[in-house]
Amino acid sequence: MATPNIQLGDYIIIQRQKYTKLQKFGNIDATAQLGKEQLELNALLDQPYGSTFKMCVKESKAGKRGAQRQHTLKLCSETELRDIRAVLGISSSGEDNRDICDNGEAQALKSEDIEQLREECNESSKIIEKLVENSKTFHTRTEYSQEKYLKKKEKKYFEFVQIRLPSIRLMADIFYRQDAEKVMGIRVDTLSQIISYSGVCGFGNYLLYESGTNGLLPAAMLNSIGAATEATLVHMHPGNVPQKQALLALKLPLEQQQRCISVNLYSVLREFYQGEALPPIAGESSSLEDAVPESLATEPNSPTEPTSKKPKLDESECTNRSPLRWQLENKRACALMHAKFDCLVMAAKEHPSSILQALLPLLNSSRPIVIFSTCKELLLETYMELKTSGKVTNLHLTSNWMRMYQILPNRTHPEVNMSGNSGYLLTGYTLSSAEKTQE
Amino acid sequence: MSFLKPQTHIEKGDIVILYLSVNSMHAIEAVPTILNKKGETIPHIFQTPYGSLKVESIIGVKYGSRVELSKGWAHVLQPNPELWTQTLPHRTQIIYTPDISMILHQLEVRPGAVVVESGTGSGSLSHFFLRALKPTGHLHTFDFHDLRATQARDEFRKHGLESFVTVYHRDVCNLGFTSELDGRADAVFLDLPAPDLAVPHAFKALKLSGGRFCSFSPCIEQSQRCINALSKLGFNEICSMEVLQQENVVKTRTVPVIDLEFLKQPKSSSSEATKTPKELKKYLTSSNPQVLPGHTGFLTFATLPPNIAKT
Ligand SMILES: C[S@@+](CC[C@H](N)C(=O)[O-])C[C@H]1O[C@@H](n2cnc3c(N)ncnc32)[C@H](O)[C@@H]1O
Repeated sequence: MATPNIQLGDYIIIQRQKYTKLQKFGNIDATAQLGKEQLELNALLDQPYGSTFKMCVKESKAGKRGAQRQHTLKLCSETELRDIRAVLGISSSGEDNRDICDNGEAQALKSEDIEQLREECNESSKIIEKLVENSKTFHTRTEYSQEKYLKKKEKKYFEFVQIRLPSIRLMADIFYRQDAEKVMGIRVDTLSQIISYSGVCGFGNYLLYESGTNGLLPAAMLNSIGAATEATLVHMHPGNVPQKQALLALKLPLEQQQRCISVNLYSVLREFYQGEALPPIAGESSSLEDAVPESLATEPNSPTEPTSKKPKLDESECTNRSPLRWQLENKRACALMHAKFDCLVMAAKEHPSSILQALLPLLNSSRPIVIFSTCKELLLETYMELKTSGKVTNLHLTSNWMRMYQILPNRTHPEVNMSGNSGYLLTGYTLSSAEKTQE
Repeated sequence: MSFLKPQTHIEKGDIVILYLSVNSMHAIEAVPTILNKKGETIPHIFQTPYGSLKVESIIGVKYGSRVELSKGWAHVLQPNPELWTQTLPHRTQIIYTPDISMILHQLEVRPGAVVVESGTGSGSLSHFFLRALKPTGHLHTFDFHDLRATQARDEFRKHGLESFVTVYHRDVCNLGFTSELDGRADAVFLDLPAPDLAVPHAFKALKLSGGRFCSFSPCIEQSQRCINALSKLGFNEICSMEVLQQENVVKTRTVPVIDLEFLKQPKSSSSEATKTPKELKKYLTSSNPQVLPGHTGFLTFATLPPNIAKT
């Protein structure tokens, strides 16, 4: 797995210190906004992923909330990333913070001076050096508080960004941090367990129903299915077009992308039971290219009643042309539905019960089911239904507790904040129906 | 064989999970005969609290079916890493699904990945690595305990996984991961008493294009020393966490609702005032069990950035 180069059309992850952002590098003039800094992306083209670039101020415009700066990016070598503390050579430090008073006058430089500094010198270490020189309190601070001060300044003036290849790990973090709703509240530990319990891997045919995770759930499953394997994913969704942002961002080989068959739930079930092909509601093609949301702020697909809207394509149009993309996808999905699946994963905004009833018969026996919800009550009901049906065994309803730690010499403790809602997983294994046991 | 891919029917030689109840599952080998202590071939009979199972009778049966025991019944399930983790013969402490899931996610293991692991222990985690990286990746797993290494090797062969894994009998803290693996790994995982001693070897084993690292340790001091070693070598994105899973026990509860209103009235003069039947309300509830796992281990993750000189 060689590191690929950055190409036009790629989704890229821009990282500045700990901050990460998913961005489309759609054309050569594309720019990215990081806080008040606007970055011109053209220098990224054909550079390997993982490269670090230096932000060089091109122009600075006065804005409502401070200056807006436009930067060009310059590829830099790893050795240019020096330890800022080493450069500054901090020496004397106070015993404790008894002499520090933060009255806003501790810094002798005025904000205009600092702004000018930023335009004059391209290196954050220089700016920080000046700030430290002109700080009345820096040398009275303790070493710990000096370090904290430097960290804060470094964060503000840090002039390097790294461009990374999107992965499930990085995207799960970005999506959840920006807005957990975007991924239906599926937290990283829960996501990782969905993948484990579903058993999704390079062999088998997998079924997913999902009502809007910006493509993260199908992407995570397709990622586990892998390139150049024989496994397939049928991805059912309730909307006109599937949300595919995370899937597109992964930059998977075409053969692998094609093993994710995205179909509208209503349309494919109708075809499966009635052999009749009706277009998904808006008659849209569900091809990858057509479903590209350019920005992160895509509206979640709202569930659509199949009877409430009429198919837009009339029959004659269908017969005149070669079969449409969605028709082919429906066909492929139906064939797999007849052959039966090796797992069922559901993350529904709707009540899981009726969907489960429709999809459970499509599974082989002795196969895992994994149902996610942020709402325990929905899963309690579903648990009871499954239990009384006798179709599923080893039922478990679980949730998680996840805590991050700061581990530093003599300063180790759990992080002050933690996420309180992992969501819930209902898991179990399908059983062979009674008649079949007799064979 | 039954670990390789989804299978519909039990084949001779498969490991099969005999599922009696949530708390009672057994991994059995679907072979008609076994050797007894005297070395004689005898029919393979498996004893359970619900009576015995003639194992020959389940060969050819569909996975997920109900099978009769002499005094009851059970279900036969196809094994997978989750079920195996709950039924495997313990040779060491093992890691369980919640931690393992996070490890696989953070190490970004997918088909094609080359993973280095130590120690092999009971192979609980190894089975998950193998599922995630096969058929195009490879697991190199190391243990300095000879018997454990041998047993793990035998198990992987029985499970049909031998072409995706190499088991090494080797002390990785002192001897590293062999020079053949220098610059070959996408990810390195450590579950060792002294992970910090193996960090420099992990550094060598990771690809020049970078890779991911994880260490699992029960004690925070181990994580501290490990992080110290990682920072010295230029690893970044270092973070530590704990993941604990809670079971929610689902129960329907019937609770009486008592009426206190009638106390406000003087005792009914009519002697026929009988006790009204107590009202009962039904609730679907869930609660955590009395005792929960409170600690498993600290997971420390780190990234080796690309192009760090390894001299
Ligand atoms: C806790 S067990 C690993 C359990 C394993 N993760 C699992 O889930 O089954 C730790 C193993 O590390 C091995 N070990 C300890 N120190 C070692 C060393 N220096 N080199 C290789 N193996 C070592 C032990 O023999 C033991 O089997």
